[in-house]
Amino acid sequence: MSGIDIKAIEEQIELAIKDIDSRESLEVLRVKYLGRKGIMAELTARIPSLSIEERRILGQQVNALKNKLNLLFNDKEKSLVVNRSQTSYGNVDVGLPGIAQDLGRLHPLTQVIDEICGILTRMGFSVVEGPEIESEYNNFSGLNIPLEHPSRDVFDTFYLKRPNQAAERLLLRSQTSPMQIRMMKAHRPPLAVAAPGRVYRPDAVDASHSFMFHQIEGFMVDQNVRFSDLKGVLELLAKSIFGQGIKMRFRPHFFPFTEPSAEVDISCIICQGKGCSVCARKGWLEILGSGMIHPNVFKNVGYDPKKYTGFAFGLGIERIAMLKFGINDIRLFFENDLRFLKQF
Amino acid sequence: MKVTYNWLKDFVEIKITPQALADKLTMAGLEVTSLEQATEDWLLEIEVTSNRPDCLSISGIAREVAAITGKKIHPPRADKHPTPKTQQQDFAIKIQDPKDCVLYTAKIIQGVRVIASPDWLKQRLELVGCRSVNSIADITNYILFEYGEPLHAFDLDKLIGQEIIVRRAKAQETLTTIDGKSRALDESVLVIADKNQAVALAGIMGGLKTEVGLETKNILLEAAVFDPLIIRRTRQKLGMQSESAYRFERGINLDVVEAASRRAVELIEKVSAGKCILEKKLGVSRRKQSRVTFDLERAEKVLGVNIPASRAKGILSGLGFKLTTKKKNIFLVDVPSHRPDVRIEEDLIEELVRIFGYERIPTTLPAVKPRIIPDNTRDLVSRIKNILVGLGLNEVISYSLIARQLSEKLDIETPAPIEILNPLSKEQEVLRPLLASSLLDCVSHNLNHKQDYINIFEVAKAFLGSSGEPREGLNLAIALCGTRPWLFPQGLIKDEAGILHLKGILEAIFVKLGIKEYSFKVDAALATIAVYIAAERIGSLFRVDKDVLGRFQIKNKEVVLAELSLDRLFLKVNLLKKFTPLPLYPGISRDISFLIKEELKVEEIIRMIQEKGRPWIKQAYVSDYYQGKQIPAGFKGLTISCLYRADERTLAESEINPLHSELTVLIQEKFGAQIR
Repeated sequence: MSGIDIKAIEEQIELAIKDIDSRESLEVLRVKYLGRKGIMAELTARIPSLSIEERRILGQQVNALKNKLNLLFNDKEKSLVVNRSQTSYGNVDVGLPGIAQDLGRLHPLTQVIDEICGILTRMGFSVVEGPEIESEYNNFSGLNIPLEHPSRDVFDTFYLKRPNQAAERLLLRSQTSPMQIRMMKAHRPPLAVAAPGRVYRPDAVDASHSFMFHQIEGFMVDQNVRFSDLKGVLELLAKSIFGQGIKMRFRPHFFPFTEPSAEVDISCIICQGKGCSVCARKGWLEILGSGMIHPNVFKNVGYDPKKYTGFAFGLGIERIAMLKFGINDIRLFFENDLRFLKQF
Repeated sequence: MKVTYNWLKDFVEIKITPQALADKLTMAGLEVTSLEQATEDWLLEIEVTSNRPDCLSISGIAREVAAITGKKIHPPRADKHPTPKTQQQDFAIKIQDPKDCVLYTAKIIQGVRVIASPDWLKQRLELVGCRSVNSIADITNYILFEYGEPLHAFDLDKLIGQEIIVRRAKAQETLTTIDGKSRALDESVLVIADKNQAVALAGIMGGLKTEVGLETKNILLEAAVFDPLIIRRTRQKLGMQSESAYRFERGINLDVVEAASRRAVELIEKVSAGKCILEKKLGVSRRKQSRVTFDLERAEKVLGVNIPASRAKGILSGLGFKLTTKKKNIFLVDVPSHRPDVRIEEDLIEELVRIFGYERIPTTLPAVKPRIIPDNTRDLVSRIKNILVGLGLNEVISYSLIARQLSEKLDIETPAPIEILNPLSKEQEVLRPLLASSLLDCVSHNLNHKQDYINIFEVAKAFLGSSGEPREGLNLAIALCGTRPWLFPQGLIKDEAGILHLKGILEAIFVKLGIKEYSFKVDAALATIAVYIAAERIGSLFRVDKDVLGRFQIKNKEVVLAELSLDRLFLKVNLLKKFTPLPLYPGISRDISFLIKEELKVEEIIRMIQEKGRPWIKQAYVSDYYQGKQIPAGFKGLTISCLYRADERTLAESEINPLHSELTVLIQEKFGAQIR
């Protein structure tokens, strides 16, 4: 034989071509093998010096290899062209950072409030806001919460220091429900109102408690508003926020300003109701309190409880946001770390 | 409230599993918050709402279980205790004010043997979380849990005089309670006293001196009903909690007092020997029964579900209500003594539907009559927030309650902040008069976490008026700190946040909200830039003083802040947009580049150009400015672009050139500019 191992040359080239990542180095390789003074040309030049039999065999082999190499180089070149068009456009490397004004973010709580108010607005509610300093009447008595009764214990409240001892006692609202009193006193039914805002309770701060947080109060009053309507509105609301797949349940509960009253649970969005640490193995997450507005509240605002019925509900925004975004510490909302805020 | 599965079974037949029972109770309004297996029993922890003191007992929960599962409650154990005949000893009860104590019963039991409680008693008490003391104390506790009526046993031989007095404490009177603490009392506190002194805090805790111990031979067993409010106030004042106060505060069923007391006597005689020799009672022992009219059609109207009359009657009777049919679907309902919370028709509707099942109420949507209650504030706030976010700023939400010291750190003169009467900590002493200090806190926090560029804003209430009527106003505050890197193909531009950035941000808001007459004026006295709309000052921009920054632990950084009153800004908003026809003829643009002294105001030059350039000048604005290496010290380089145009024809260059030259000369003469 000629002592030329065509197979070895072929393997060598295949290996070399694989590592090529630019058209330039591909060209260099092409010249090395297929150029006028390249390895293939050298091989061809050696053919005449061989015996007839060897000439025939080597000639065929060299030709076959040449054809193969041409194919390989062409394919590689095509693949390099495709690769290049993915990263470069003219002289622009598309991998460089884009140029734009950085996006600012609304606070995640604002985003949740806007989402909920948006859903309620589409259902016909008007969104209003009220003062954070309230009278004892609007925050308690008007809502049928006696000032000295265990039913008030859940509503610990910050009071303001007044220079004049005789002045009316003022407080920071401990719930958004005073907006029921304000709106009903100012308007006649029909009424459908959503009132978001800050509320305050003297709670020691930890991962799930804050002395300031946010609520949305929603209520509707007319001549024929029923408990079934409350269920319908809250189902629409909860499914819009947490997805169509959730299950809901209404549990009897007690609130002084509604009768009948209900707490509303959704199936745990973490474990889908199987039981996990977030839902304390219950499979259900309490998300809000609600009920039919108590006749005494209607009397307090000058509505005829025989003529009008209505429902009301109140939900805590932080709780909803924590569930929705998977946030495990309420303090993160008020720390305002940009690394936190920019995630939403 | 803790109950056990087996203890409930003493009162009602239960055929379902503890799990099923827990679910049913939860769905009937007695939420079972935990269910655990305990020695040969199950422990259920139930959240009893404040309107249901009748459920603060095993027998009360059993009554609910019976109603929910459709079983009959076993009648409370027959009271076969014979009325004592041997009245060798006399004893008097005195009540100072019947309003404080509507009923007081006392039973004297002689010859008791105080021992350790038998296992069955110990175990049940321990299951529901009550420590075993001795047979007498344990039996009173057992009855408290079983009937919901708190009892108290005194060591009779340690009481002085043959009388029990329910009275208000005297000024400076003291009492050592069984927890060993000495309590200072006053006239607002209700006590049980013997002839000489207070021996118990009524309804809350007994006194140490008359406590039953192993040596006790004779006891006085108290079963009474005290005024809820006085118990609540005393408990709060003395900072105490007890199982009995918890129940008195929520209200005791008068009807159960005698039964509970007799059952206790029965148990004491059985467990601790002894014999009841005397019974005394003072006060009313029956509550007036109330009657409520119930209209089933009204229930349907409120609930949106039809419940057949037979089913409704069944449910309400099962709960102990007595129904008399008045008309079709209208009933007179007698409320049982243990349900004083049921006062009006709506209460009965809830009773009906919580047993019927909330899940069986259909889901409907209300017919909302369109009506809009305008609240522009929310809409405007939302617009402003979106403009700011569009400009790259991040919204923060910080506490409205702050430490007084935080508000003082700013060095800005504001009226004294409104103080909180009952803050939990120093961090909540006052309502913030400005948002600025909270924003500086946020900047400081983020610098500590290695953020190079901080651009934040908050829209929230600020509070003023500590001396008179408190006022709350809506404010906007913006804080910028650090360098924003802009990476362009031409290279990196480091954009250091300053006053002009704040100005630009506010201008964007003003323009978007149709506010035209805004201006920024340096207020040298306060070292701030005042923001005006027409003649009204709505806020200011300022570079925060180094000393102030130091107080917020901000070092080697510059922070610029803006705070505005949105209430005042909103009064000037004009959202009506009016179209201006596009020019029909092209204009000609000419630039003037020059150097002027640093202190000269660009505004004045532009105003002059606009005045003198009439009638063809349409726009004059700064298109370039520079201070630095190529400009002599004390000067700034400016380029002003002027756009000339006529509305009715195309202007010729020859018409513009003389005017433009004239303006150039004027700038030189009036402002000493050197044309470049």
